[in-house]
Amino acid sequence: MANHEPTQKATIRVQRFNPDVDPKPYLATFEIDITGDTTILDALELIKGTLDGSLTFRRSCRHAICGSCAMNVNGRNMLVCNRRVNALLDRQGRVTIRPLPYLPIIKDLVVDRSSFWEQYLRVKPWLIPPATNGGPMTGEYHVLPEEVEALKMAETCIMCGACYSACQVVAMNKQYIGPHALLKAFLRVLDPRDAAPAERLANVGGEDGVFRCHTIFNCIDACPKGLDPTFAIETLRKLAQKRQAFEADRLERQKSL
Amino acid sequence: MAYITGLAHDESITHDVLVVGAGLAGSWAAMTASQQGVRDIGVLSKLHPLRSHSGAAQGGIAAALNNVRPVAGTGPRGPLEAVPPGEEPPDSLELHMFDTIKGSDWLGDQDAIELMVQEAPQIIYEYERMGCVFSRLADGRIAQRRFGGHSAPRANYAADYTGHVLLHTIHEQALKQGVTFYSEWYCLDLIIEENICSGLVALDVVSGQLHLMRAKAVVFATGGYGRAWKITSNATANTGDGVAIAYNAGVPLMDMEFVQFHPTGLYGKGILMSEACRGEGGYLRNKDGERFMERYAPEKMELAPRDLVSRSEQTEIDEGRGVGADGQGVFLDMTHLGAEKIMKRLPQVHELARDFTGVDIIKEPVPIQPTAHYSMGGIPTNADCQVLADAASTPVVGFYAAGECACVSVHGANRLGTNSLLDASVFGRRAGTAVAEFVLGGAPLAAVAGDPVEKNKTRIAQYANGRSAQNPQRVAPIAAELKETMTKNVGVFRQESRLQTALADIKRLQTRFADVQIMDHGQRFNTDLLAALETEHLLTFSEVIVVSALARTESRGAHYRTDYNKRDDEDWLKHTLAHRNGVDAPVLSYKDVTIFYDRFPPQERKY
Repeated sequence: MANHEPTQKATIRVQRFNPDVDPKPYLATFEIDITGDTTILDALELIKGTLDGSLTFRRSCRHAICGSCAMNVNGRNMLVCNRRVNALLDRQGRVTIRPLPYLPIIKDLVVDRSSFWEQYLRVKPWLIPPATNGGPMTGEYHVLPEEVEALKMAETCIMCGACYSACQVVAMNKQYIGPHALLKAFLRVLDPRDAAPAERLANVGGEDGVFRCHTIFNCIDACPKGLDPTFAIETLRKLAQKRQAFEADRLERQKSL
Repeated sequence: MAYITGLAHDESITHDVLVVGAGLAGSWAAMTASQQGVRDIGVLSKLHPLRSHSGAAQGGIAAALNNVRPVAGTGPRGPLEAVPPGEEPPDSLELHMFDTIKGSDWLGDQDAIELMVQEAPQIIYEYERMGCVFSRLADGRIAQRRFGGHSAPRANYAADYTGHVLLHTIHEQALKQGVTFYSEWYCLDLIIEENICSGLVALDVVSGQLHLMRAKAVVFATGGYGRAWKITSNATANTGDGVAIAYNAGVPLMDMEFVQFHPTGLYGKGILMSEACRGEGGYLRNKDGERFMERYAPEKMELAPRDLVSRSEQTEIDEGRGVGADGQGVFLDMTHLGAEKIMKRLPQVHELARDFTGVDIIKEPVPIQPTAHYSMGGIPTNADCQVLADAASTPVVGFYAAGECACVSVHGANRLGTNSLLDASVFGRRAGTAVAEFVLGGAPLAAVAGDPVEKNKTRIAQYANGRSAQNPQRVAPIAAELKETMTKNVGVFRQESRLQTALADIKRLQTRFADVQIMDHGQRFNTDLLAALETEHLLTFSEVIVVSALARTESRGAHYRTDYNKRDDEDWLKHTLAHRNGVDAPVLSYKDVTIFYDRFPPQERKY
C-alpha cells in the first residue's frame, strides 16, 4: 500500500551507550526521511533496520497498551509509539531521544527497571479477597458502577515507568515506593473486594510511602494514559490516618458483596 | 524471586515445569500448577510478562452468565437490560456452544468446545475473585455486550481494555502464588528425542548467555503469528517463535491455513479497533455511505462473524467502493452512538483513532481495513493440552501447549470474538492441571543427548559472520518482502496462482536468509539477533501456511478461495497436519474432527 504523503527530512539524535565498549554515553545523529504519520518508534525501527542494527530499544504493541516503549524525548518522558516525529521537532529540526532518566542503563535506550518492579511487588499488587469457605465462586461480587468510577481508571495503568522515572523523589531516593506502585495500592485500597485495606495503608503510610511525595506533579505530566498518581497519593494520605475506621467500613460493605 | 533477568553463569537450569510465554495462557498454567502442588516452576517470557499481547485484547471475554438480555420488542440493535434474578435465562451453554461451532464453520472439535463453554462462567468468577475490574450493571453484576457471531449478549467486558485488566490480574496472582518469571529470556530451541520432551535452550537477552533448561514438562503458551503480514493488529513480538520451534523439533502444525483477518484495523496501520465498536452499535459504510453488510448478512449485519465481514469489506474494496487514499479501506461509523457511550465503553478506541489517524470517532467515521489478527492454527493438542505428534493423536510425552499457539481445536476455521480470552484462560488452566498431574504422578527428568547449547551457539555465530557470504543479506528487507507477499497473496481471498507466487517468494527469501548477517555483534541485549531469529521463524511457518492453503481446495471459515469457493464437507471436513521434511516441502496429513452428529450436525453457515 503506497504512502502518498510527501516526505520531509528529520534529524534524530539518540543517546547511545554500550557499557561493554563505550567509556560513557554519547549522542549519535541520524538523518532520515519521514512523513506526517511517522512516529518516533517508526523512526527508531527505520534506523535500526537500515542504518545501525545495534541501536537497541524496547517496544512491542506500537499502540500504547503494552508499556514497553517509555523513553525521554526532548527532555520529557513519554511513550514513543504514539507520538509523531514532525510534532516534536525542535527549532533545529531535531528530535532528541534518551533513555528514561535516573535508572541504570543496560544498553542505549534500555534501562534496568529492577527498582521499579521491586516497588510494584512491595505494595502487593494482587487483590486480597474476603475469606471464604474455600469452595469455588458461584457468582460474581456486586460492585456498583460508582465504586468502579471511584477507582479513577487506575486499572488502566500500563506500568510503563514514565511517571516513576520523571519523579524527583525517585531520582534521589530509590527506597521511595513511587507513583506507579502507589497508584496500584490506591486501586486495591479502594476496591470494595479487597479485605486488607488497613494493612495496605500501614504499608504505604510508612517511611518510604505517601508522605514522601513532594507534589511536584511530574507524574501527571508524564503519564501517557492521563492518570493521576498525585490524586491517588493524596487519597491514601487521608485514609492512612484513619485506616482502622476505613477497614471497619470495608468489612461492613463486604457483607453485601 | 519474582523476576530473574541477566544471569551471567552458563550452567544448565532445571525445573519440574517450564512454561514459555507469560500471557494469559502461560500465567494460568503456571499459577494453576503451583496451586496444585508443583512448586518448582519457571516461566520464560521474551518480554516482561506485563508486555504480553494478551493485554492488547479489547472487547470482552465470553461466558453465558445471563446478566443481560435485549429489551423485548426492540430488535437485534435495541438496548440491553439486566436480567431480573429468577427470570428465564435467555442464554445457555448450549447456545454458546452452537454459536462457536457455527462460527468455526464446523471445523471445531465439539468435545473441546463443550468443555470450554462449560468452564466459561467459572473462569469469569475466578477473575472476579482475583480482582479484575469489570464494567458493571447498576445492580453491581458484571456487564455484558453483544459481539459478532454470538446469538446472545455474552461478552463480559472492562470498557474496551478487557485483555489489559485480565493480564494484569493473572500476572499479579501468579506472583502472589510465588511463580518465578525469567523476564526477557527467549526460547530458541526445543529438545524432543524419541517423542519425549526434555527441555529447551534459552537466550538470556540481557546478558546474551545461552542456557540449557531441563524440565519434566514444558508448556508452550507463545501466542500467535500476525507479524508475517504487513497490516496486522499484532505486536512486533508476535512472530510465532513457539510454533516454528515446535515444528523444527518434529511436532506437526495443524490448520495453519486458517488465519483470521479482523474487519476493523485502522487504515494503513492495522491497529485494532475492537469488534465492540460494532457490538455497541457501530455501522460499516462504503464510499457511497451505504451500510453494505445488508447485502452480505442481512440478519446479523455488522455482527456477522469476522471472516464474513472481512470478505464483505474486501469485496467492496475490490469492486471500487472503498475509501482512503488508496481506496483500500471502508468506514466504521460510530457517530450515532453519542459521546457518553463512546467515552464510557470505548475510551481506548477513541484514543487510538485520535492518536493514529487524527479522527474523532464521536464526530466522524474512521477509515478501517481488514487486518491479520488471529491464528486459528498452531500446535495440535487434545483437550488436556497434551501436544499431539500425528493424526492418530499420539501425545508427545512431557510437551503441552495452550492459548493462541495451540490448536485444540476450539475455533476451527474461524474464531468468534471474545472466545480467545476464554480459550487462553480455560486451556491455560487445564494445562496447569495436566502438568501438575504428570509431575506429581512421578514424571522423570529425561536425559538430554548431545550438546544443544553448542548447536545454538553455532547457529548464532552464523548470523554474526553471515556464513562469510560474498553478498551478506540484511534481515529487515527480507522481513519486509515476506510481509508484502503474504499481504498481497495470502490474505482474505486466496487463489492458486497467487498462493504459488507467495510460495516461490518464500523459498527465494529463505535462500537469501541463509546469507543473513546481523549488524550488532555484541552479547549484551542484542535485539538485532532477536530480529534475525524471529524472521527465520516467520519464514518457516509462512511456508507451512501457504502449502496448507494450496492443498485445501475448498472455502471454509477464514480460508476462502475464489477458485474453490464452496465448503466441501465430503472431502474437507478434516484438520490439516503439516510435518517438517528437512528442506523439502512439509508433508501433509489429515486428522478427524470430533462432531456430535446427534446434537450439532454440519449445516449451511448463513448469517
